Amino acid sequence: MTAPLSHIAPAERARSTSFNEASARTRLDLLLDAGSLVEFIGPEQREVSPHLEIFGLPEQFDDGIVVGHGRLGGAPVFVAAQEGRFMGGAFGEVHGAKLTGLLRAAREIGSIPVLILLDTGGVRLQEANAGELAIAEIMRAVMEARSAGVKVIGLIGGRSGCYGGGGLIAGCCSALAVSEAGRIAVSGPEVIETNRGVEEFDSRDRALVWRTMGGKHRRLLGAADVFADDTVQDFREAALELIGLIGPFGLDRLKAEQGRLADRLRRFGACQDAVDVWTVEGVAHAETVPELPADQFIALADRIGRSSRDAR
Amino acid sequence: MTSWQNNRAARDARIAAGAGLAHGKVVEASDATRLLEAVIRPGDRVCLEGDNQKQADLLSRALLAVDLSKVNDLHMVQSGVVLPEHLDLFDRGVAKRLDYAYSGPQSARIARMLFGGKIELGAVHTYLELFARYFIDLTPHVALIAAVSADRDGNLYTGPNTEDTPTVVEATAFKDGVVIAQVNEIVETVPRVDIPADRVHFVVKSDKPFFVEPLFTRDPAAITEGQILTAMLAIKGIYAPYGVQRINHGIGFSTAAIELLLPTFGERLGLKGRIATHFALNPHPALIPAIESGWVRQIHSFGSEVGMDDYIRARSDVYFTGPDGSLRSNRAFCQTAGLYACDMFIGSTLQIDLQGNSSTVTASRIAGFGGAPNMGSDARGRRHPSEPWLKAGAEADPDSPAPLRRGRKLVVQIGETFGDKNVPLFVEKLDAIELAEKLNLELAPVMIYGDDVTHIVTEEGVANLLLCRTAQEREQAIRGVAGYTDVGRGRDRSMVAQLRERGVIRRPEDIGINPLDADRNMLAARSIKDLVRWSGGLYAPPSKFRNW
Repeated sequence: MTAPLSHIAPAERARSTSFNEASARTRLDLLLDAGSLVEFIGPEQREVSPHLEIFGLPEQFDDGIVVGHGRLGGAPVFVAAQEGRFMGGAFGEVHGAKLTGLLRAAREIGSIPVLILLDTGGVRLQEANAGELAIAEIMRAVMEARSAGVKVIGLIGGRSGCYGGGGLIAGCCSALAVSEAGRIAVSGPEVIETNRGVEEFDSRDRALVWRTMGGKHRRLLGAADVFADDTVQDFREAALELIGLIGPFGLDRLKAEQGRLADRLRRFGACQDAVDVWTVEGVAHAETVPELPADQFIALADRIGRSSRDAR
Repeated sequence: MTSWQNNRAARDARIAAGAGLAHGKVVEASDATRLLEAVIRPGDRVCLEGDNQKQADLLSRALLAVDLSKVNDLHMVQSGVVLPEHLDLFDRGVAKRLDYAYSGPQSARIARMLFGGKIELGAVHTYLELFARYFIDLTPHVALIAAVSADRDGNLYTGPNTEDTPTVVEATAFKDGVVIAQVNEIVETVPRVDIPADRVHFVVKSDKPFFVEPLFTRDPAAITEGQILTAMLAIKGIYAPYGVQRINHGIGFSTAAIELLLPTFGERLGLKGRIATHFALNPHPALIPAIESGWVRQIHSFGSEVGMDDYIRARSDVYFTGPDGSLRSNRAFCQTAGLYACDMFIGSTLQIDLQGNSSTVTASRIAGFGGAPNMGSDARGRRHPSEPWLKAGAEADPDSPAPLRRGRKLVVQIGETFGDKNVPLFVEKLDAIELAEKLNLELAPVMIYGDDVTHIVTEEGVANLLLCRTAQEREQAIRGVAGYTDVGRGRDRSMVAQLRERGVIRRPEDIGINPLDADRNMLAARSIKDLVRWSGGLYAPPSKFRNW
């Protein structure tokens, strides 16, 4: 725990490194087979946002996203990782184009899975329309890649969560893995409070935020298929597991997904709180779910939680 | 014939006036305002209990609602101006004059009201200083206090947040004043007697528990690598060489980092048992890993901290607890302990000038002093020796004969050269001086005076001001750790190099620390959830600190 990091073997580092805390680059370095990451359009090319300078805001040479290819368990994968510490991982024009290009490359090749490490508050407001367009292009690119037989997997456990357009993209993926700290939603807590009032949603009640949008709830609802403990190694294992699980994609799948979501609304539409949902799902002492350690929660989720393996 | 018991007679008349609203001593919450109108006289000195943690919030609302023809022009003498109601009293004319110590969340509004003449300011004090004046020239006529529970006789249980209550009651009740307590509940028997019934004249049952702010919780997830580096420099560059065992920590993230590095970095340096064993400190959740690892022998606390009750109860070897098992805090005693029985204060600040004066005042905010000036000052009345105190004294004054040489308390300012929002920590002139000019104050609100500061720690290194022999050396020692701030860039390079040779300034490499080793993986806990795990589930953090 206290030895200098450079003296520790990669696998040991992956086990002892918090996915939540790590930078986008550290996540990829430790997630993939050691030394296998090759970056496309790396920071040395300085493809920065054309918009931020207008607002006097600092740019980042990779525009807050790392895209590239590498190996996972010996097999090739495409990867993209958002840097949640740069502008909350928000989508701008260049940032979005890098991900779109990666997905289109994957579509052309057809067989190499794509891992997207989402860590984002949504669209970068300063790049308004360009950011919104990027989201639309990425969603289309995800669906086209999946139609061409590509498995697209979202890994969510960063500090910025997965909000706004990021939440929409997550909904398009073949499968998701999420950790307790990961949050998945479209409108964020503050947005809901601003629009609907604090009685509707108190954004400062963090326990409420997490049980409504957090990883445990998303796993129990079936929005995420795998629950990972907050280490990069756990996410690596989750990615490997999901690559093995994902089946073929076609119209039948989409219809099944529509049915799954309609059924979810029917069953839980009247619930006022996530605890009510878990209770309806048959979780005994549902109020203790947030306190459960990862191993106990995974056992519970495997027993009771839903999955979308036949749908999506 | 001269009467020598006028005050007692006046007190009895006040109690008689309130008695009509009470059953025994108990008054309904709905009658609280009428009680205050009956008991308080215009111009009274009133202590409305509130500090940086607990608040007599029901009584402050009740006081705000009084009929101005019955109660007006009060002189408020209280630790904390924290609730909006505390200042509404002045806007409405219920109160006119103010003596206080701390105003955290109201710091901007209190500055505006002072500037607008809404408040007649006596002085801004330290806690201990205001408490002292309760017994000399600011004795309250009426004290409005907060407790957890009362029995029918008026015995009070304050719970873990005892804080100021015993001091306020002592000054009021034994000098012919009236004590009114708001309590969360009335019980058959209180868990323990924190305030005996014969010092309490009325008890008002509140419909909801008094407000307590979790002010001392620092989320380990927010600690930066820069703060970790400064914490490592402090541990290896100050705690270790002086062998500091008796300590008060400030509430910033750098000191939270120190607490979380003791079981990892400190352990590796072999310092366990040699440093950081005794504390005057609130129950900081960040100290849990060090306690669980056997570092900490004893902690006395000013107040409590939300969520720590069960942990404290289970660790009575470390904390002060009552016969009921819960924490007994006491601000006056703990401040005294910090002043006289600790060898070091270490804390953060917002501004440090070229003489080493520091302040948390900015041009538009008066946050008050709280306890830091007492914690961060050399106690001239101290007479007992200890190793760090003698060593610091010898460094400051190597030529005096040892038996006649005063020791020195270590007063350490720690921070990054650029703080929150990249505002420089080092300035040529404190904003506090500008504020004093603007408000016509006789004293600028300086938190810790430069002549009390012994060390400054930044990511650039440790400056030992004890070893400076002239004002010029002192200025260059400060500039020499001020990084790329304007103050730092204005350094005399050759003089800073000389100071480094003499060990006045020590860079990370001089102390044997590689800045690249300052990694979050070194923290014993990296999240609030880690703290819960360390505590074996006994720590129950409030919702605002959770991310699960």
